[in-house]
Amino acid sequence: MRTGSSMLNWRAASLALAVVVLAALPTVASAFFINFVMTQTLMMGLAAATIVFLAKYGGMVSLAQFLFFGVAGFMYGNAALEVGSRGLNLGLPPWTAVGFALIVTTVAAFLLGALASRTTGLYYLMLTMVYAVIGYFVFAQVTEISGPSGITSIERPDELAAPVSLYYTALALSVLAYIGFRALGRTAFGLALQGVRDDPVRMASLGFNVPLHRTLAFTLGGFVAGLGGLVNVWWNGQIDPASIGIGPTLVLLIIAVIGGVSYFEGAWLGAFVYVAMFTYLRDLPLVDRIGITEARFNTVIGVVVLLIMVLSPQGLAGIADRFRRRLSDRRRPVAETSDRSEGASHRAQSIDK
Amino acid sequence: MTDDHSTDPGRNGAAPVVLVRSVQVAFGGLLALRGIDLDAAQGERLAILGPNGAGKTTLFNVIAGDITPTGGSVAIKGVDCTRLPSRRRPRLGVARTYQKARTFEGLTVADNIYLALAGHRRRHRVPWRTAADRALRAEAEGVAESVWLGDHIETDAGELAHGQKRQLELGMAIATEPDVLMLDEPASGLSRGEREHLVDLLEALPEKVTVLLIEHDMEVAFRIADRVVVMADGETVTAGTPEAVRSDPRVHEIYLGSEAETS
Ligand SMILES: Nc1ncnc2c1ncn2[C@@H]1O[C@H](COP(=O)(O)OP(=O)(O)OP(=O)(O)O)[C@@H](O)[C@H]1O
Ligand SMILES: [Mg+2]
Repeated sequence: MRTGSSMLNWRAASLALAVVVLAALPTVASAFFINFVMTQTLMMGLAAATIVFLAKYGGMVSLAQFLFFGVAGFMYGNAALEVGSRGLNLGLPPWTAVGFALIVTTVAAFLLGALASRTTGLYYLMLTMVYAVIGYFVFAQVTEISGPSGITSIERPDELAAPVSLYYTALALSVLAYIGFRALGRTAFGLALQGVRDDPVRMASLGFNVPLHRTLAFTLGGFVAGLGGLVNVWWNGQIDPASIGIGPTLVLLIIAVIGGVSYFEGAWLGAFVYVAMFTYLRDLPLVDRIGITEARFNTVIGVVVLLIMVLSPQGLAGIADRFRRRLSDRRRPVAETSDRSEGASHRAQSIDK
Repeated sequence: MTDDHSTDPGRNGAAPVVLVRSVQVAFGGLLALRGIDLDAAQGERLAILGPNGAGKTTLFNVIAGDITPTGGSVAIKGVDCTRLPSRRRPRLGVARTYQKARTFEGLTVADNIYLALAGHRRRHRVPWRTAADRALRAEAEGVAESVWLGDHIETDAGELAHGQKRQLELGMAIATEPDVLMLDEPASGLSRGEREHLVDLLEALPEKVTVLLIEHDMEVAFRIADRVVVMADGETVTAGTPEAVRSDPRVHEIYLGSEAETS
């Protein structure tokens, strides 16, 4: 049984609290924390949330989300720059360039999504990984749009000149995406997508176009990842193919996994943990004495990821959720809690088969 | 029932609503159906019997479009749909249940039925909630009650007991008020009381609905059916009224005999 309204209130209250805290954060936190750690957290979280969206609702694990993140950045660079040694140098006004970048990203996501729409499971993962690899080579080798050293000196729109405005942009987009994705789950389209996840054959026999639903979901995921990519390219001022290679692609998947792939909030949680580790690990006192040198960070991060996954297959958000449930179970009659754990074991069986 | 079907020729009882001609299905070297014929008139209640592996479910899969036959043809209400994808068949008024309940485990009972309705009415493209959605949802809850799941509207389908899943499947099939309702062993795994419910529910269906029923439970099958088709080894062995089939010696030999021993 779901405890519908109390869950909803709890979520609404904690979301409101999180938004208020994050909005007020620049007044208390250091500029470095806001403009480096938190801005990066929010934009990576936004991109990771599209992995969660596709996996949670559509049952599609996509490795192509970071590609769309990159496509949006490259396309913005190509469109906004007037002169430069590489790229199309279209010289469009910044906001027109934003539109151009998002349209190209969305169309690319639609076409690639349609191509993958009859695939599921492991094949979906492999196919989208191939997309990521091909995307990398396209930008590395087609010098008209980038070339190996990428596009540099990319300016952001004047309205976003102040560094903290990027933080607020990323925050606003993240909140919109979070609310939007969650709300979508209750609409006809979102429910149909979850039906496709659970049993595509059954959905077809009910009259649904299964590949179309998968394609549209993938398109939306690409669009939202593209929004994150725009913030990224404004933040960085440059973009090169290496930044969307297979390494960063896997980092995004790791962020989604340590956050918890079945929780939207997990995307940002995972991003924060990743960015914070990456930023602060080197500053820990005596850290080099125990053998953790700069060159070994990735190993350490890998071990931390492993620990989180072993402790909770549902990631950090899963740990938080379990903790919250345990608290609320204590206040509830015993009969109902046993009802739920029975349900959970049913669910586990149904996943096995 | 949707109005746009009322002019179809199949309506007036002359042409069969379901017309299966020499359908063959091969799975690799195995012939699951060997050129089978089947007619069902409007409003007919047709029970399909046969031992395990006779090809009954395969025949359903062909009629519902989940499998494209290797040979032969299928027409529904006079429309040839041998190669029509399964997702276009609900518009012809076809709905089915599966032998092994196929519900959407991660969605609630109400959402499962809602999807059945939305798929049929083609209201599933809008990514926001509409007034039509709310009406559909209310309708879904009504259907849930009609299959005795009124207390479980917000329960995830994955958490339902076996019998309840079957009730949900039935709800999803009858929600769209189909003209052709195909039920694959709806009584299997149900308790005696639930079977009674099931028979009541099937008897309460509008008269014009054509029902194809695969059922191992003789009591249920013979109470519902006007006509019985017996299949074995991918072929029709005999067909006729329940009485005639019951007394047919061939049927006893291949089916009822073995059934009588086990029960
Ligand atoms: N997808 C498939 N692939 C290969 N063989 C199949 C497939 N589906 C069915 N068969 C085979 O086709 C034959 C007919 O199967 P079918 O499921 O239609 O029988 P049935 O009459 O419904 O039996 P039951 O009473 O056990 O449900 C069986 O031998 C079965 O093993
Ligand atoms: Mg069968």
